[in-house]
Amino acid sequence: MTPRSPSEAELHAYADGQLSSERAAQIEALLARDPESAALVATIRQQNAELIRALDPWLGEPVPDRLLRAAAAPPRGLAIRWWRETLALAATLVLGVAIGWLVRDELLESRGTPTSFAQEAAFSHAIYASDRGRPVEVGAQEEARLVRWLARRLGVEVPPPDLTDAGFSLVGGRLVAGNEKPTALLMYENADKQRLTLQWRKNDRRADEFEFRYAAENGVGVFYWVDTNCAYAVSGDVDRTKLLEAARLVHAQLVAAYAPHLQR
Amino acid sequence: MPTDAPALPHPDLVAAIPRLRRYARVLTGEASRADDLVQDTLARAWEKRGLWQAGTDLRAWLFTVMHNLFVNQRALARRDAATLSLDATSGLGDAWQVSVAASQHLHVELQEVIVQLGRLPAEQREVLVLAAVEEMKYEEIAQVLDIPVGTVMSRLSRAREKLRRIVTEPVPLKIVR
Repeated sequence: MTPRSPSEAELHAYADGQLSSERAAQIEALLARDPESAALVATIRQQNAELIRALDPWLGEPVPDRLLRAAAAPPRGLAIRWWRETLALAATLVLGVAIGWLVRDELLESRGTPTSFAQEAAFSHAIYASDRGRPVEVGAQEEARLVRWLARRLGVEVPPPDLTDAGFSLVGGRLVAGNEKPTALLMYENADKQRLTLQWRKNDRRADEFEFRYAAENGVGVFYWVDTNCAYAVSGDVDRTKLLEAARLVHAQLVAAYAPHLQR
Repeated sequence: MPTDAPALPHPDLVAAIPRLRRYARVLTGEASRADDLVQDTLARAWEKRGLWQAGTDLRAWLFTVMHNLFVNQRALARRDAATLSLDATSGLGDAWQVSVAASQHLHVELQEVIVQLGRLPAEQREVLVLAAVEEMKYEEIAQVLDIPVGTVMSRLSRAREKLRRIVTEPVPLKIVR
């Protein structure tokens, strides 16, 4: 039995690679004797290729912060915040842009609390640790340059801790936009390709006590603490014991690095 | 919002943003309005997260959410436009603009492809992009757009025919800066 000739719809499906391999093979054979259908398939494939070439570069454009924020889980206390944001919007509409901006600033400021540092850390971890292609801006092979760059941008120098004892090695680092201040991010990876990030930013308020805190945001665990210079966070979606081990190593090395400073 | 609804997988959401932005730009034809649509889509996705079935394709579900928002917003805009002006029937196709800043690294012929795409009606544009660029199965496209598979295929066929005619009968391009 000879296979039936393809309908026009089937030619589209064929060109789009949507048919079973069996039917696709039949059509391929038929096209050899049907130049008109073969031309249609060629046109469709060329159109597809051109569309992909034209639209793929859009995927590489940097994603605006407001969209990254919208992708994060709505924070707790959402109802109140929403109400305030709705008010802010209403004020913008009724009284004009100026008032809206004032309320917006206040909203932004109310998010700059230490708790939100842990949230931001978890958030940045989720974004960059999942990026297989370009998780960092400057690689570990340029460690000295990385340290200088981050120190200059943050106004405080932090030597990259060595996490070999926990099985993690440095991948590199980048700068992350925080709500109030720039945040430095170092990424580490172990043999199982699990990733940890250490993030810190300059802290103006002096901490009264050293305390490790733990928070979990969307499956990402965060140990965070504050010292005289900075707020720090170690984040990862590894188990809590492993994360704590890494956080302890970081903390111990930072204390050692800052010992002269602390005794002052 | 139900507090017991499961959270959406955050890394997957973030990973979907570039594709959502691209599809929104195809729908709205304007980069800034597109990002507003993406933001609304993400907010709506969190609101309606109980409707997403874990393990199913998150990207397809997000496209569905975006499509519904876009259709509703367009209906509202049309209603407003109709009460404001009688000649507002010219439709959304005119709003298609190529942001020069966003595409200046493209070759001229690729910019032309984008402009030609913009001259298709929105309903043909979305089917074409979902099939040709997002490489979705026709059945998936039917679900995202909530139309029969037969309609997907007829729109696709018309879109491609129209694109072919536009290319072979070139009309002066107008790129809005």
